Order: sequence, then structure tokens, then C-alpha cells
Amino acid sequence: MGVVEDTEPPLKRVKRDETNGFSSASGNSSVRGSSSSSVTNSLGDLMARPLTTSQGDDETKTIGSKGVIKKSEFVRLITRTLYSLGYGKTGAMLEEESGIPLHHSFVETFLQQVKEGKWDESVVTLRRIGMLDEKDVKAASFLLLEQKFLELLRFDKVGDALATLRNEIEPLRINTKRVHELASSLIILPSTSGSGKENVSSRSKVLEELQNLLPASVVIPEKRLESLVENSLHIQRDACVFHNTLDSDLSLYSDHQCGKHQIPSQTVQILESHTDEVWFLQFSHNGRYLASSSKDQTAIIWEINADGHMSLKHKLVGHQKPVTAVLWSPDDRQVLTCGAEEDIRRWDVDSGECVHTYEKCGIGPISCGWYADGKGIIAGMTDRSICMWDLDGREMECWKGQRTQKVSDIAMTDDGKWLVSVCKDSVISLFDREASFERLIEEEDTITSFSLSNDNKYLLVNLINQEIRLWSIEGDPKIVTRYKGHKRSRFLIRSCFGGYKQGFIASGSEDSQVYIWHRSTGKLIVELPGHAGAVNCVSWSPTNLHMMASASDDGTIRIWGLDRFKPHKQEKQVQGSSSNGVLHQCNGN
Amino acid sequence: MDPRQFEHIVVKDSDIHSIVMSYLLHNCFGETADSLASTTGIKQPVIDRDNLQRRKQIMHFVLEKKALKAVELTEEFGQELLEKNKDLQFDLLCLHFVELVCDRKCKEALEFAKTSLAPFGEVQKYVGKLEDVMALLAYEDPEKSPMFYLLSSEYRQQVADNLNRTILEHTNHPSYTPMERLLQQVTVARQYLTEENGKDAFPPFSLKDYVKG
Repeated sequence: MGVVEDTEPPLKRVKRDETNGFSSASGNSSVRGSSSSSVTNSLGDLMARPLTTSQGDDETKTIGSKGVIKKSEFVRLITRTLYSLGYGKTGAMLEEESGIPLHHSFVETFLQQVKEGKWDESVVTLRRIGMLDEKDVKAASFLLLEQKFLELLRFDKVGDALATLRNEIEPLRINTKRVHELASSLIILPSTSGSGKENVSSRSKVLEELQNLLPASVVIPEKRLESLVENSLHIQRDACVFHNTLDSDLSLYSDHQCGKHQIPSQTVQILESHTDEVWFLQFSHNGRYLASSSKDQTAIIWEINADGHMSLKHKLVGHQKPVTAVLWSPDDRQVLTCGAEEDIRRWDVDSGECVHTYEKCGIGPISCGWYADGKGIIAGMTDRSICMWDLDGREMECWKGQRTQKVSDIAMTDDGKWLVSVCKDSVISLFDREASFERLIEEEDTITSFSLSNDNKYLLVNLINQEIRLWSIEGDPKIVTRYKGHKRSRFLIRSCFGGYKQGFIASGSEDSQVYIWHRSTGKLIVELPGHAGAVNCVSWSPTNLHMMASASDDGTIRIWGLDRFKPHKQEKQVQGSSSNGVLHQCNGN
Repeated sequence: MDPRQFEHIVVKDSDIHSIVMSYLLHNCFGETADSLASTTGIKQPVIDRDNLQRRKQIMHFVLEKKALKAVELTEEFGQELLEKNKDLQFDLLCLHFVELVCDRKCKEALEFAKTSLAPFGEVQKYVGKLEDVMALLAYEDPEKSPMFYLLSSEYRQQVADNLNRTILEHTNHPSYTPMERLLQQVTVARQYLTEENGKDAFPPFSLKDYVKG
């Protein structure tokens, strides 16, 4: 009790609420504003509302097991929602039964007056509400009087409108520009005005604007309950470790939990066409092909059929050395293969023919990549330099000196902005191609490989110490999460992003298993046995959330999918990972 | 010719008299012009007296806050005069509006604005000024509004000068006096020389300093 609101900011809901509906009970009606003349009036108004005897308790009553929900706020929220859903009668009944009015009676009166267009009265009532600071009162009064002005103008009561402008609106001394505009509108007809600002908004629009203006405890925002529920759903979804489903499947009835069965964990196919260790594989951007490269000096392009089955499309023969990587062009029509310390070849996917060979006298490539626009090739060479060729083999640039390491990765982000490479044992260079400016990521240990996320904002880095680290590279590079559990001691192991919104990290391991972690929490969720040798590389399909491929020293490629026992509905392809459209899910119920 | 040798140029008295005379006639100083003529014996050029008197009266009305009267007399020179000079017409009408507002005749001002000023609002270049002018209506004390300059005598003088020139032009007289032109040219010439030779050689032309001697 007592006058509290003058010094505290209006959004302090605690005190507000208590004075809101219940000051009437304590009979302390001097709470609003400072004029004592309002005392008798307010008492009269308040007496009209039915009060139950248990008033005093309700102020502090909480509900829910944790004691953080105030009963009065909870009930008011439900009442508000009932009204906005159109259930006026129920809302009114709730107010009566619970004895908890939705609004302080002045607020109620105020809103009613606005609805009925009783502007002068509403301005007066506004002042009586009391828990507002002067700035808000002025702004709200301006809104009300502006509406009064515009309505008068609508009905051609120009003289009255002018009087309102001069005597009521201008003296508020705010929003001078709008005052001038209103003055002009006195002679400019609404139908000819260009901006249409002079048109009268509906009263409900005014109500909406007032609600935004007034503090939440005075007038509860329109969709507050919906917003609270949505927040809760988002949190559940983010916490769902196996989350690999679409938003349309979220339900309010129980906390959301995907089961493990949404993660591809069953071998659905084994591809045995390579004759030696398979070192690298990658799905095409459109998810229709898989390319793999092997120590057997070949690369293979696999085609994915409508039923998800893979078949060999082309075997790319020509290299005389093990092929360390095979990379898709941005338009998926060509691939680059990198022969270890030998040369780089460009192949056409449709025909399987080698279109061009890129080599440099005396040195060989260690790693390679495509330009973001597909019109050039980059390569990290044995002499530690970085070379850039156009498609016809003309050398465009060559950065000499210690730019790369002996075994290293190189890549250009698909927006063409950054060139990423491992420039020293434990340092990654992010070179901004536009600004010619380099940022460094300094790791604690030797880096063996890296992988970029789709949105170019994150970098997954594999370290020699068996840790995988996720870095955010937008702005200053920062470590976001670490992933552990897999084994790596002698060989190069690669990891990748995958799943719904790239929410998972998958990696190979020297213990022959595939490891999958939940990206944001870092929690290891599955270990998949099956291969008979170290798993060197993993790739998750960019369009099929439930398809993953792994390449192993045992010479095979395994395709992983969902548990076959569950009815495998025809899964339509999804565009990237962001649409909530077409994909059907088996909910595993 | 070295610009510093300007003192060697010969200037005829009669030329100077002409310059002063044209200035007086331009600004409607009829009696002074007569006096100058009789003292110096110079012939008055062919600006007829009638024209001068009428202009004098019109300017007077503008300055004395009787813009509509000024418009009426101006139209006696020909309807097309203001029709062809819309900017000027607009300024004069705005002045009348301002007069009404100052006299606290708000209803009348509003009516006038609706009939006479609103049509100008459809042309983009007048919109800004129109908004400023209309805004005066919102204030109990127009003098205290941000657009108080519209009420000032300097502003009225500006409009009056503009009107004067337009009438002179319309009646086939020069709209700028030689005096003005000379001063403008001196200023520019000085500026040019300063840029060429540095500030010390030729300081910028200042009439005030010059008159002081």
C-alpha cells in the first residue's frame, strides 16, 4: 500500500499488479496521481466492482509447483487471451468468478471510452490511471487527441478540428512535425493526400497503439500468452538433443523429445566399388549424388535413386596417385579431384570425362577447392604456397611463402568473401578477399582438417588431440563448443555438419565407428559401429535429413539411414534445411 | 592592364548620375529622382511616372500587410503577370494568409487557404512552403512558432522586391539596376583576383570598408 509508482519505472510488474486490482480492498484510493480531488470519484468507481473476502490472500498467492507464478497474473493472462480469442462471455465470467479483474477499473473505463470515441473523457481518465510517467501520458494523450482531430475532420467539422489542434494538441509540445502535418491536412482533402496519413485509422488501431505505449502491467499486451508458449516450445526444441524433425510436429501436450530413431543410425547400403582405402566423400549440393575418392587412385560418382538406393554412375580414372579429395562445383555439374602431390583434375559429371588438368612444375597439390562462383580453382601446394587458376588453367594468383602446412585444407566460402586455409600448424587463416585483410584462429594444438558450415558463420576444426572444435567466425572468432569421444591418432579424420538446420556434428574415428554429437550442447548421441577399419570421412546429405555416408580404410562406403523397421514414408526432398514445408516425418509413435 | 592601376580609369560624372538615377527610379523614389534631375541637369530616362507611382503603391501595400490590395493593383498591369509567375503569386497569397492568422482570423484564414492555397499543394515544389504556412494555424502565438520568419518585415521586403522586379520586367524595363550589377561584378572580380594572386594582393571587396574610405 502507499504511493509507490511515482519513483519506480512502470514496468516493475510486481508492485503494479498489487496496486492494480486490489488497492480498492484496502480502501487506499490516493494511490493514483497526486490530486486528492480524485479520491471521492475513484472510491465511487471502485465500489462498483464485486470483491470477494479472500482478497488479501490473492495478492501473494502463487500457483505451480515452483512458486514462481503469481495467481493474479496467471488468471489475468488467461482472461486476456479469452477476450482476444473472441470469448467475451467466458472472459467476463472468469473475471467475476475469480474476483480478479482484467484491468483496473480506470483502465477498463479508459479502454471503453476509446472504443466509443469519447476522446475528451479518455484524456481525463488517462490522467487518473496514475501509474504512468509524464512522457507516456503525453504520448498517449497525443494519440487520443490526434484521433479526435482526424475524426472531426472526417465529418467536416473543420472549425472544431482547428480548435482541438490549437488548444489541445499543440500545447502538449511534442511531435511538432506531426502537428504541422495535421495543420496541412485541414485543407488537403483525404482522397488526394499522397501518404494517406491523414486518413482516419480505425479505433481498434488506436487501441493497439495505446497498448504498445502503456506499460504491460496496466494493459497486458495482446498476444502475451501465445508468446510465452512459443518461447517455451523454442526452448524445448533447442534442448531436444536428437531433434531432427520439422516444426510442424511440435505439440503442446507434452515436452518435445525426438527419439534417437530420427538420427540415421542403420546401415542401409554398403558400396564396395573401391579397391583400397576410401579417404574422402561428399554429397553434391543438391543431394542427388555422392562423390568418393580413394587410395586406389580413382574417384567415383554415385547416383541416388528415387528409393534412396545408390548406384555407380562414373568411375573417374586417370590419376597415378591416391586421390585425397573430390569436390563438387557450386552448380554440381563438375568435380575436382586432387591427386596427392600430383595434379588436380576437373571432371564433367554427366560424361565422366576429365575436362582439364591443373599442374605446376616441380610441385604438387596437397588440397584444393572451388571458387565461390565456380570459375576458378584454388590449391594448397607442396611448397606451402597457395595457387589460384581460372578454369582454363591460367594462373591468376600465387601466394608464396609459408601459406599452408604439409597436410592441410583450403576452402573458399560460398559467398566468395573468405579464403580459409591452415597457414601454420595450429593456426587457421581467414582471409577477407574484399578487404584484403586476414584474421587468424589460433588453436591449442595441431589442426588436421576443417569444415565450413552452410551459412559461412561457423568453422568445425579437427585437432590432433582428438578434439573437434566449433568456432564462430562471424566477427571475432570465438570457440563455441567442443566435441570429444572419437579416436584419432595417426590418420587424417574428417568431420562435418548435418541434419535439421545443421544441428548435428558427425565425424569418423580410428576405432571404425561413426560418431554423432548434438551441435549446440556438445553431447555425444550415437556411436555407430559397422566398418572394419578407420572411418576417414563422413558426409551428411544436405537435402535428406536422414541420409549420411561414411568412408573407411576397409575400402567400403556405408550409407546410413533410419531404422528400417519403421515405415519409411516417401521422403520428399527439402530445400536446404530451412523450409518447414514438404517433408513428411515418421514420428516414431 | 594591371588591375592595381584601376585609379587611372576615367569615369564620367554623367555616368555616375545615370547610375544613381536608375537606382532611384527602380526603387520608386520619385521625388528624389526629380530633385536629382533638377540639380544635375540629367535627363530622366524613359521610365514613365505612372509606372513608378503604381509600383510605389503596390510595394507599400505589401509592406503594410495588405497583400490582396497589392495583388489587385498588380493585376491592373495585366492578368498574365501573376499567372506567368506562379512562385510570386503563391508568395503573395501566403502573405495574405499570414496576415489573417496574425489578426487571429483563423476561420477566415482556413477558408482562404482552402480556396486559394490548396491548389498549389498539388505541385511538388510548393508543398514544403505550404506546410510551413499552414502550420502557423496550430499555434496560439504564431510569433512563438518555428515559422515566425514568415511574419517578419524582412520577409515582406523580400517578396516586395521580387514583385517590383517582376512588374518592371513585364513592362519592358530592366529588372536589375546597374548599381546592383556593378557591385556584383566587383565582388566577383575581386574574388577571382584573390584566388589568382593571394589574399594580400587583392582583399575581398567590402562595400562597407570602401564607403568608410
